Amino acid sequence: MRQLITKPFPYFVGVHSLEELVTKENRVCIINILGSESRKVTPVSHEYSGGNIVAGVQYGRRGVMETKIGDIPIFRSIRDVKDHEINFDVGVVYLPPAAVSQAVAELVNYNHDLKRIIVVTEKVAARDSRNIRMICQEAGVDLIGANCLGVANVWDHVRIGGALGGDTPEESLRKGSIAIHSNSGNFTTTIAQYLSTQGFGLSTVVSSGKDVFIHFALPEFLYAAQNDPRTKAVVVYVEPGGYYEKMALDWIAERQFGFNKPIVACVTGRWKKDVNRACGHAGALSGSGDDALAKEGWFDTYFGVDAFDPKNPVVSKRGVRVSSIQHIPEAMKAVFDKIDETIDFPAQGDLSLKPWLGDSHIKLPASLDIPLVEAMDPYNIQIKQINKQVGAHYLRQNMSDKSGASRMNPKTQVSELHNRTVLELSQCSMEENIYFSLAKVMPDKIDIPTINFLLNLFLKMDETRMNLVDVAKENDCTPNAYIASQVALIGNKSLLEKTRQHSKFIIDLIREFELTDETAKLPDEVDTYIRKHLLTKDAQMKSEVSEMLLNEIKKSKKKCIPVQVCQHIITISEKENLSIRDTYEFLLASVGVCIFWKPMLENRITRLVVEDSISYFYIVARIVAYSVIDRANNKYWQRLINTKISNINASFTENAFKILFNRPPTETELFEFKALIGLTLTNGPGTISAKGAKESVSARNNISMAFVGFLTNTGLAHGGNGFEAVHYLLEKFQNVNLTDPGEKNHKVDLKTLSIDAARLYGKYKHIEKETGELNYKKIPCVNHPVFKGNDINIDPRENYVRMQFEEKGIYNIFLDFYHNLVQELFNEGITKNVFCVNVDAVLAVIILKFVWKDLQDGKITTKQIQDIVFTLFLFGRAIGVSAEIADHRDRGTDMDCRTPESKLAFVL
Amino acid sequence: MQLSGLKYGSKLLELVEFPVAEFLTGAATHDEIQNLINKYGKIVVKPSFSGGVGKKGKAGLIKIVDNLTDALLAKEKLYFATIQYGSKTVKANGVTFEAFIPAELEVYFSIADSTIYRKPIFTISPYGGVDIESLGPDKIKVNDIDPFIGLKSFDLTNQLNDTGCPEEFISPLVQHLPKLWELYDNYGLTTIEINPIRMARINNKLVPIACDIKASFDNDSPAWKRLMLPNAIFQADTTPFESEINQLRTYQGQSDVLEMNSNGTILPFMFGGGATSAATETLGASAIFASDFGGNPPYEKMYEISSIVFKHWLPKANVLVLIGGKANNTDIYVTFKGVFDALRDTMVRDGKKPLYVIIGRGGPNLVKGMFYAKDILDTLKLPYRIFGFDTSMIKVLEYAKKIDTWWGETGKAEYIKKYKK
Repeated sequence: MRQLITKPFPYFVGVHSLEELVTKENRVCIINILGSESRKVTPVSHEYSGGNIVAGVQYGRRGVMETKIGDIPIFRSIRDVKDHEINFDVGVVYLPPAAVSQAVAELVNYNHDLKRIIVVTEKVAARDSRNIRMICQEAGVDLIGANCLGVANVWDHVRIGGALGGDTPEESLRKGSIAIHSNSGNFTTTIAQYLSTQGFGLSTVVSSGKDVFIHFALPEFLYAAQNDPRTKAVVVYVEPGGYYEKMALDWIAERQFGFNKPIVACVTGRWKKDVNRACGHAGALSGSGDDALAKEGWFDTYFGVDAFDPKNPVVSKRGVRVSSIQHIPEAMKAVFDKIDETIDFPAQGDLSLKPWLGDSHIKLPASLDIPLVEAMDPYNIQIKQINKQVGAHYLRQNMSDKSGASRMNPKTQVSELHNRTVLELSQCSMEENIYFSLAKVMPDKIDIPTINFLLNLFLKMDETRMNLVDVAKENDCTPNAYIASQVALIGNKSLLEKTRQHSKFIIDLIREFELTDETAKLPDEVDTYIRKHLLTKDAQMKSEVSEMLLNEIKKSKKKCIPVQVCQHIITISEKENLSIRDTYEFLLASVGVCIFWKPMLENRITRLVVEDSISYFYIVARIVAYSVIDRANNKYWQRLINTKISNINASFTENAFKILFNRPPTETELFEFKALIGLTLTNGPGTISAKGAKESVSARNNISMAFVGFLTNTGLAHGGNGFEAVHYLLEKFQNVNLTDPGEKNHKVDLKTLSIDAARLYGKYKHIEKETGELNYKKIPCVNHPVFKGNDINIDPRENYVRMQFEEKGIYNIFLDFYHNLVQELFNEGITKNVFCVNVDAVLAVIILKFVWKDLQDGKITTKQIQDIVFTLFLFGRAIGVSAEIADHRDRGTDMDCRTPESKLAFVL
Repeated sequence: MQLSGLKYGSKLLELVEFPVAEFLTGAATHDEIQNLINKYGKIVVKPSFSGGVGKKGKAGLIKIVDNLTDALLAKEKLYFATIQYGSKTVKANGVTFEAFIPAELEVYFSIADSTIYRKPIFTISPYGGVDIESLGPDKIKVNDIDPFIGLKSFDLTNQLNDTGCPEEFISPLVQHLPKLWELYDNYGLTTIEINPIRMARINNKLVPIACDIKASFDNDSPAWKRLMLPNAIFQADTTPFESEINQLRTYQGQSDVLEMNSNGTILPFMFGGGATSAATETLGASAIFASDFGGNPPYEKMYEISSIVFKHWLPKANVLVLIGGKANNTDIYVTFKGVFDALRDTMVRDGKKPLYVIIGRGGPNLVKGMFYAKDILDTLKLPYRIFGFDTSMIKVLEYAKKIDTWWGETGKAEYIKKYKK
């Protein structure tokens, strides 16, 4: 087939007037309608244009795209659209670059009514671009793009092919007499916006794209503008590269077509002259004769005047060139004056410097210190509203099997929480990790006593109800069961809900009155607001604890606005002899907001997390409380609950140790205990423990029930491997005379012990294999599915902890035994190489070391050891799960953990 | 991306079996060079440049020698020769020893995309071996190419006839030149220029032999990767910063950067091709780089881009500028979140750094994005001014330049004094 030719051009142009380029009558089909860009842009275009999109194509799928003015049907291919007898005359392509030429060919082949194709896609290869031009030239179809934002006919309220005017097209696309042809999609809208400052509106605007090939280029645009009765003048934005402008101006000069409307042209990109690689627009790369300077020359010659100087505005009837887009409105005004035309509407605003937001961190010199200006409507209202918002925001999405909090690093197999490995976190205290799981950063040192204060406070509450735990234990409930039953009862108790409401109040107050750390004195309106909403003449309950909390806040030297505000509230109440409503909850909220304020302001965490922070602290502390072993005889537990204020300022980690082991930890034990908790914090969102919590959030449960979800999704399989290891070690060490597992000079013949253990296992394995039983028992905590296959295998996580212990001079005979054992298993030919001792072993050997003496003395039972193993896993994981719950509450959607039917299977 | 010279250019031509002059690289032994001289009588010694460098002959960088001593002297002289190409001084890294092809005719031939024809074109002249811009219109001819058919023999014949090419050369040229379209069309080329093609008489048959080549490749076409050319030949085109950013290049969201002045003091995040062009012009030498981060990049990409930018340039920068017009499609909140999360994380990791921040932007989710930036900057205690799209973006850039000057002279010192704790 031959290329069509339509005079006056040596190629095909199907448009006579800009009026016709896109109109209300056009019917549009969008290819890749559900692509990420189209999904946002298409509904806006459809609604703006009064519903001109008749079909979409999403290859291989059918469905609909919902819009405010009705659904757009989606088909599997263009043939499918035509088979449904849907007619359209404009195709818009949103596909990735490699697929663009295919789509154009398909559009042309299957739709003989087609008039135009608009290609939005960026980075289309030059080869594909020349090919699609040829296809369209032969078929008599106008092509616009690629790498463009399409066309808008402002008079007809139609935009096709892209996001001209953004999500609020009416704001920038105002009816008037100027047509724009711009190499930049963004500048198309920006110039439209600028023009309104001198009272100019638009007829039709074209974002031409700026690839090497511009398919709807200046010659045909000017020809169509000339024939458009709506258009009085034209704005052209040009970048280096290509001879399109020269051809247009030459053809006008040669009278190939008539053109007598003024042009305001802006050429940028002189700096690209010596650049040999595109940055920005692919085609904005010049050769020797088509750089910015040359293009400026073409226009200057055409206009017959120099570039526009706002101080001395000289223009010709043909127009003028401007050196920067900011001069376009003034230049156009000067041109209109020259041709005796009137502007389209009263001028609106100006382009002077108008900062909407600024800081007060440092004083600028007078010449640079431009006062802040209230933003234009409706942005001023948005600013007022958003100013009240604070903290991170996330787009809601399906969070099933996804997490923004944790992951298992596929390379290292080390789990991470908020981008820090559990190995790093295993060196931190429980209180630090509890805070970290929510705040995503470690607490400031100044906040650690406050965090301990809160956690210990919650640890000692509600002892009376714990009789039920005893009942559960009598019924042989596992720790997760009796803890879960208690946590479920927490519900959304009044203490937590009122605290949450107070947190909201404090944050609202700070944002409403635009208070910052720089605020020297709180304005009087704040006092009025506080008196009205927070203070009361009614006396409120006071307790020793609430007094302590009050003092905690009053004495705080922390410099941040919530502290200042809460101290101020307390001062007013004391001065005016008024009470704070629900004083205790207000004080809890104050502490919570103060310690989480900074990470919220840094947009690390959402406001929701801050408001919920006390709930998380409460529940995690209660999980520890419900885990107490031998409650009646645990003197540390008794001291904690019986004394009014006891151990409340101690480390929460130490208290947790005491209520499990009925003794204070040594320094070494504290280190080991932290390692134990830290290592179990998380194993990524795929673990069933995390899934339990996430699924509960997905069902819109409150926080306590989400923890119940986590707890019910744990079982003996979790603590089990650890306990199996403990059991195995107890068996191996039953006849060994060992008083202190931490004593390096133990005089135990570990080598013989290991050889015997290896041989015994070898014999067992041999018999099992001989009898055809391949599912024989493995030695617990030895070998790992990832860390295997080398001559000597090492689990890097276990290795890390072992190195830490060695550095601190901490010895553990059981771990030493394990390492001897894997070597002897190899020496005896039972394993093909030296297996690793995996990280679970670390947990088992530490626990066994903790309880060894009590076990020898008969003070602890193996059942209690089993509970401890399980409980310690729950401690660590409860902290990690806090992060998981907070993350899912922030990002997830209702029922997002539901498994789609397509992924389910029926098993016979 | 461009290449020039036979060292790698020959690989392209061999793909389509277009005859190339025999050559050796700078690593050739004395024996090998001597053998080449023995075979052809004379050899041509040329410097090897990375990227596309032309007009070597005009710069006196081509030596024709007939003995080993002169060949080695030429090698010594040309191995690290420099040439002024555009605004850049380019340094050679090696030489080639190429067979001297005695020829009765030298031909110029190129294929390129033409914005005048809006098609590919070929340009041909039987008066090659010289700077073709010096040739009159009767001696050089241009013809468009139908991209679906390729080079047509009759077009070549007609154009050669019109230039007055002697008859005997036309047929061998028409036999071989269409192969170059296959190369051009199938391997992502945007230009291929062979100058000269020397018409050698081999076994009493005239054969066109390519004696130099220049080619440029389309960054947006993956086809050139099939050529398996070593990356090193394009590395001269990019700085380490640019190549790190380039790795993030996908069709969704721009990630173009062009290092302009490593001693600049303004870190400009430009959004949109137009903004890139206008902003780079306005900021001039103050801008460390030109960039286009528009095209609605997803958060992860924007965060990664920003992290790389801050890693490379934060220690040097006085002012961070985020500039763009009124975005149509780019979500301002998402992009600003990427930039300012990265700024926060970089400063947390590497320590705080005095920096003035200027923003001028419009588009979807604007106020939300602005406040995201404001909150982080307030926490980092960094000074800033944020402008909406009702301020001219050029004025914002001019203001940023003034802030840059003040910050460099006194502002930064005042700031450090105030916040040294």
